[in-house]
Amino acid sequence: MPESKPEAGILLDAAIDYLERELLPTLAGYHRFQCRVTANVLAQVRRELALAPGQAEAERARLVALLGHEGSRDGLNAELAQRIRCGGFALDDPSLLAHLRQSLVEALRINNPKWVAE
Amino acid sequence: MTTAREVIAEVTAARETLAERLGSAIRRRIGAPGEIRALARLTGGATKATWSFDAVVGDETLPLILQQASALPGTARAQPLVHGTQDALLMQAAARAGVPAPRVRLVLEPEDGLGEGYVTERVEGETLGRKINTEPRFASVRPKLAAQCGAILAAIHRIDPRGLDFLAPQTAAEQLAGYRTLGDAFEHPLPALELGLRWVAENLPRAPRTTVVHGDFRNGNLIVGEEGVRCVLDWELAQRGDPMLDLGWLCVKTWRFGGPLPVGGFGRREDLFEAYEKAGGGHVDAAHVRFWEAFGCVKWALMCMQKGLGYQHGQRGNVEAVAIGRRIEEPLLDFLDLVTGRG
Repeated sequence: MPESKPEAGILLDAAIDYLERELLPTLAGYHRFQCRVTANVLAQVRRELALAPGQAEAERARLVALLGHEGSRDGLNAELAQRIRCGGFALDDPSLLAHLRQSLVEALRINNPKWVAE
Repeated sequence: MTTAREVIAEVTAARETLAERLGSAIRRRIGAPGEIRALARLTGGATKATWSFDAVVGDETLPLILQQASALPGTARAQPLVHGTQDALLMQAAARAGVPAPRVRLVLEPEDGLGEGYVTERVEGETLGRKINTEPRFASVRPKLAAQCGAILAAIHRIDPRGLDFLAPQTAAEQLAGYRTLGDAFEHPLPALELGLRWVAENLPRAPRTTVVHGDFRNGNLIVGEEGVRCVLDWELAQRGDPMLDLGWLCVKTWRFGGPLPVGGFGRREDLFEAYEKAGGGHVDAAHVRFWEAFGCVKWALMCMQKGLGYQHGQRGNVEAVAIGRRIEEPLLDFLDLVTGRG
C-alpha cells in the first residue's frame, strides 16, 4: 500500500485550523481553555511527526559517542540516566552537558518552540 | 449508557444541593437569610474544588469563595499537602502575622454536609501571570511588585508556628528524597533530570534557620491589583523549612510567564532581597536562593511528570494533564542554563 492521502500532517493541520479559527472564538471559560490546550497538543503531534525521525537518529549517534557502544535510543538513554545517577559522569563534564542541552532543545522544538526562542 | 442530558441533570442537581447546603451554613454561622447568588465553579482540580459566590446576609451582599478539599487520590506525591481545616488555620495565622492572606469567614463542619474546606472573602484582582506581566494597567505597579513580595515573604517567615503542628518539617535533603521517590514511580528515565537531582544532592545548603514556608509563593498564586499584591493564595504546599525556598521558587523561569525579569517576570532579584532584609526577614545570600531556584526547576520537572504521566498509574489522562507532561523539558533546560551560567 502506498502512504494514505492526505498525509497525517495535512489531517492535523485541518483539525488545528478548525479548532483555532472556528471553534475557539465561540467558546469562553473552561471550554475555551481546554480547546486551546487541545489545539496545542495536536500541534505538538504535528511537529513531532516532522522532526522526531531526524532527531532520534542524531540523538542516538550522540549517545553512542558519549557511552562508547551501540544500542537503541531508549536503551542508551536509560543507561546514561543510570550512569549520571551513580556518579559515572562529572556534573560539569562538557560533552555530557552539551549533549543534554542539545536533547532538551530538540524536545522543546517539538513541545514548545517558544521556550527555546524566549 | 448515560446520555448527555442525564449528565447535565446530575450536574444541575449536585449544584442545587451545594447551593442549599452552602446557604444553610452561611445562615447558621454568618447570618440570615444566607441566600446564595452567582455560584460559579472556578477550578476543579483533582484534590480540590473552588467556587465563587455571593451570599446575602442582612442587607449586605458578601463576595465569597468556597474551597472544598476532597479525598486525595492515591497518586504518588513528593510532599504532604495542607488542606481543609489546616489550610484555614494557617491562613488565619498568616493574617495575624500581617500577611495579605485570604480572610477566613467559616470553616466547614461535618453538619454542613460539604466535606472539608472553608469559606473566605473574595478578593478582586488579577491572578494570571501573563496578564500581570503584560497588561498596561499594571505597568506602573510592576516595578514595585518584587519589593512587595520581599516584604510579604518576610512576614510569612515570621508566622508563629504554634498551633500549626500539622506543617511538616522539611529539610532540602528530605524534599530531595521525596522528589527522587516521586520520579522513580514513573517509567521515564531522563538523563537531564538525573543530572539535576544529583546536582541538588551535591549542593545542599546549610539552612541557618527554620520558619513557616509558603511553598508555592509565585506569580500566578498572587492576586494583584493596580496598587500591588492584594492577596497570597494556595497555601497547600506550606511546610516548616528553609525560608530561602520561597525566594528561589519565585524566581523559577516557569513563573515568569514570558516576562523579561527574574522575579516572577516582573522584578529584579536585588529589589526582592533588599525589601526582604529591610522588612526584617534576615540576611539573604544570593547563592543560597539560587540553589532553591535550581532545585525549583528540578521540582517543577517532577511535578510535570506527576501531573502528566498519571496514565502510567491507570488514571484517565484529560487533555490538560497530558499536556503538562510535555512541559518536562522546559524547567530542565532552565536548570542547565542556570547552573552553567547561561541563564
